Amino acid sequence: MSKPKVALYWCASCGGCEEATVDLTERLFDLIEAVDIVFWPIAMDFKREDLEKMEDGSIDIAIINGGIRLEEHEEMVKLLRRKSKIVIAYGSCAHLGGIPGLANAYPREEILKFAYEEAPTVINPDKVRPMKKVTIDGMEFELPEFLEYLKPLDEVIDVDYYIPGCPPTPDLTWEAISKLLSGEIPPKGHVFGSDKSLCHECPLNETKPDEIRLEELKRPHQVILDRSKCYLAQGVLCMGPVTRGGCEALCIKGGMPCTGCFGPLDGVYNQGAKALSFLASVIDIEDEEKYREMLEKLGFDPIGWFFRYSLAKGMIYRKKRDGE
Amino acid sequence: MSDGDGFEPTIVVFACHWCTYQAINLAGTSRMKYPPNVRVIRVMCSGRVDPQFVIEAFKNGADGVLVAGCHPGDCHYVNGNMKTMRRTVMLEKLLQDMGIEKERFRREWISAAEAKKWVEVVTEMVEQVRKLGPLKLAEKREVVMNE
Amino acid sequence: MSSEEVEMEGACPTDEIRIGVYVCHCGLNIAGVINVKEVVQYAQNLPNVVSAKEYIFMCSAPGQDLIREDIKKCKLNRVVIAACGPEMHEPTFRAVLEEAGLNPYLLEMVSIREGSSWVHYDNPEAATEKAKDMIRMAVARARNLEPLEKMRGEVKQQALVVGGGIAGLTSALDLAERGFEVHIVEKRPVLGGHAARMGQLNVEGRKIAGKDLVNYLVEKIKDNPNIHIYTNAEVSKVDGSIGNFTIKVKIKPRYVNNKCTLCNKCVEVCPVTAPNEYEYGISERKAIFLPFDGAYPSQYIIDPETCTFCGKCVEVCPENAINLDEKEKEITIEVGGIILATGHDPYEPPIGEYGYGLSPKVITLHQLKRLLSEDGPTKGELIIDGKRPKNIVFISCVGSLGTTPNANQYCSRMCCSASLIEALHIREKYPDAQVFFVHKDVRTYGKDESLYWKAIDNLVKFVRFEESPKVTVDKDEVKVEVKESTIQERLVIPADLVVLVTGMVPPKEIENLRSLFKVGCGGDGFLKEAHLKLNPVESLTGGIYLAGTATGPKSIAESIVAGSAAAAKAASLLSKDTIEVEPIVAVVDEDKCSGCGICVSICPYGAISLEKREDGTRVSKVDPMLCQGCGTCGAACPSAAIQQNSYKDKQIIPQILAVFER
Repeated sequence: MSKPKVALYWCASCGGCEEATVDLTERLFDLIEAVDIVFWPIAMDFKREDLEKMEDGSIDIAIINGGIRLEEHEEMVKLLRRKSKIVIAYGSCAHLGGIPGLANAYPREEILKFAYEEAPTVINPDKVRPMKKVTIDGMEFELPEFLEYLKPLDEVIDVDYYIPGCPPTPDLTWEAISKLLSGEIPPKGHVFGSDKSLCHECPLNETKPDEIRLEELKRPHQVILDRSKCYLAQGVLCMGPVTRGGCEALCIKGGMPCTGCFGPLDGVYNQGAKALSFLASVIDIEDEEKYREMLEKLGFDPIGWFFRYSLAKGMIYRKKRDGE
Repeated sequence: MSDGDGFEPTIVVFACHWCTYQAINLAGTSRMKYPPNVRVIRVMCSGRVDPQFVIEAFKNGADGVLVAGCHPGDCHYVNGNMKTMRRTVMLEKLLQDMGIEKERFRREWISAAEAKKWVEVVTEMVEQVRKLGPLKLAEKREVVMNE
Repeated sequence: MSSEEVEMEGACPTDEIRIGVYVCHCGLNIAGVINVKEVVQYAQNLPNVVSAKEYIFMCSAPGQDLIREDIKKCKLNRVVIAACGPEMHEPTFRAVLEEAGLNPYLLEMVSIREGSSWVHYDNPEAATEKAKDMIRMAVARARNLEPLEKMRGEVKQQALVVGGGIAGLTSALDLAERGFEVHIVEKRPVLGGHAARMGQLNVEGRKIAGKDLVNYLVEKIKDNPNIHIYTNAEVSKVDGSIGNFTIKVKIKPRYVNNKCTLCNKCVEVCPVTAPNEYEYGISERKAIFLPFDGAYPSQYIIDPETCTFCGKCVEVCPENAINLDEKEKEITIEVGGIILATGHDPYEPPIGEYGYGLSPKVITLHQLKRLLSEDGPTKGELIIDGKRPKNIVFISCVGSLGTTPNANQYCSRMCCSASLIEALHIREKYPDAQVFFVHKDVRTYGKDESLYWKAIDNLVKFVRFEESPKVTVDKDEVKVEVKESTIQERLVIPADLVVLVTGMVPPKEIENLRSLFKVGCGGDGFLKEAHLKLNPVESLTGGIYLAGTATGPKSIAESIVAGSAAAAKAASLLSKDTIEVEPIVAVVDEDKCSGCGICVSICPYGAISLEKREDGTRVSKVDPMLCQGCGTCGAACPSAAIQQNSYKDKQIIPQILAVFER
């Protein structure tokens, strides 16, 4: 019986998901023993043509992380989709767009202009921009196009399962992959992790007061948190209530409030909107002037607070600017 | 940015049953005229208006969204409108950061007797949004499946 | 116009959604503007619509018949009626559904009259298009409606009245006279509250003693078989909800039983003295004492805080009525409704405020009333520091209207009238006494206006201040310094007696009451009524009513009125065997609920609580009897676990999407 064939690939990614895979430590060796890694350009010398040569559907599981930002990403994931039976969107970027998805708040031109012309450390008086094709010494070089928007994986190809997190924990990764390898196939579209929010498994959930009423909000850098009590109850935004659990509340245990990387629960259309809703609900200010002042002083940034990983998910689009 | 000829905006309204919805009825029984561009969704309390609803409305084609409830202190359910107040103030900032003009999203307190206010708000909002033109949200390219 | 038959498709499986749409002409109200035929044709082509009809007056008998027949004939399981709005005929049409065997909550009404034809009559095309949109939205919502059942709870036909003051006694008597069993729980050892100690009251010119007023009620109450009185008792636990409360009451020991003959021998030998709270501290009592003459129950009581348990009283008691080993008792009562008549405390000035506590010449209005009462420590003679005072200065608004740093912002209503009554009393009894009334405002409102003019006629000198007056105490001399705001001159009044007219504040146990009964307090600390005008004697918690000064300063007459009002409201609850509650309440999907507690924090009715699952994790539970159906929990729930029946996400979101599915 031949070993299952596994492919791993990264798109617009920070490399953290690769680190998470490596963080499997000893279990990584078990994984390598149990499967046949047929494509993993980050770790070994695989080229695109290796993938093209494979038969359609011959890869059992393709694990893809990173968001779709470049033309190359789009091409590669479509190719992987053809060649694979199961595709897993691994990590927040593939699942929701992740941090790079925050770029969707800006038009493409603005991003490129900043990166190549306006950034404080850039010296580019001739306003040189990268080109899709260039010929040097008779050789043609191609660069992939920088797409209009960053998309999560499932807006480009059909995705079977999601392993959420920024990055997913090694335990969750191991659990998900071993489940699939053992033949325990969940329904299509299943997101691994808990079916309840982080509060359910958070060690500080019981320390919440009977009623959470926040007289003011604080930014995490403005307060030294009492690590034995619920962070939300201390006045800082913790995305725990609105975020899928299954991460063992590692950030909480590390003294940091949850930032929402596992994404929303089933039944929630828009994680960021729900986060806005619950936070606004438990603030205990009824004077609108006072409330606006508090938010102003705090530097209220709803995109960064509520949509840190999920802006690209397609629930809210920014308005097209003139000329777009 | 001005509209093309004949652009008629669609404004989605979330109205609370005890105050705004009664004002809408009163405007009806008083035969007050106002632009036909609003589509009203009734809820028992403005506190039921989930920010997800506002975003779904814009995402699916609303040119403007109005959330209307009882005046502070008058909420039939004590303080549902206070939650609405806080949520809509945050939503304002979120929509602004995403480039959506502030005239397109409004929150008003309209009591059961204020049919006149309802008519004024609707008329003003429709006009302002008509001048802004259709809300062109950044579109994603076609989702391609199973290539 | 007759009803129109529209071609029906062949029979479909019955587990499919089958919607009937009925468009009313409402005479010409709708049909005069909207093209009804076009609308009906449009509706017929919507997904899941198997029947679309029109009629001239859908609410008429033939209109209702049409719908009823159609439901049966076309095997409908959802109904949309496009006509006037739900506030007009929803109950009518719900009944039609029920008669046809369909759950009445599978109905959606959409107002194309108030919402379209009546307001867009200048633009029939737009009105027709809008009507189509409205129906499409209603159909989208109707597709996802679910059958619901009204909830019923039992009602225990007994009441609890917390507080045996004037308001509580009035409530209890009113309820008992209606035939309900009433339990009065009073924290003090005697009934009557502050009213019993108020000395003379001014009731439209006639003088009545507060004690007599109380006695009038007590006479009717004490032998009433429907009323159970527990004094020296406090509520310790409240479980349950409207219609069915389980109350635990702790009855503290009196140490003296009803064999007591009031012979007073125990008082003579008692070695301990303490300030007498029934005289507002101007005289003293022993550790064993009778609260006041004519009090009910008329029994002595030992105050365990000051008693040394030396046993001398036991030795001398001829009836052996004293038992120093008496223990606290706990009883449980089950009631359907609760009236909180828990009263107020008088504002206690801090030591030094206007000289309070620094001289025996500075007293409060309550203390003055005791002195001037015939049953008081001086038998009604005004004797201060051994002498009869000649210059008497009342300072009003003490602790109110923001006059001092400690003061409340609100006005306590009654103090002006109450103090002017005593000012007139003094002028009448001691014609040579000079009485000054130093005030920020004089608010002898309503029928008490005459008190003000009478005081002027009786040479009470009114001195108005904007800046708070100063009271200086220099050994034996007390002076009141005030800048009169009319003549803008500083006056220094040497005073033989300064009377601080203090207002009402919430009782010191208010926090405890709040959390025991889960009733809210307003910003001023008093218990909060559901709505000042629409619901003035109900609290926000179902089944709990509020009476008297518990909700804020009131006169005795107003407290009595409130007591009766609360009893009337309670009676309308208690007179039923069961209560029915509309089912548009919140429900929790326990598989989704993570026990984050957000919903618990924001429910204004305290209808949601966290309970432990078997595995120790928490989950939210809604008490459908307390839930009022606002839906704010649903909007805030970060897991979309709690949803409001009839206004679920899956019912509203399709309605939004339907706006644009043209």
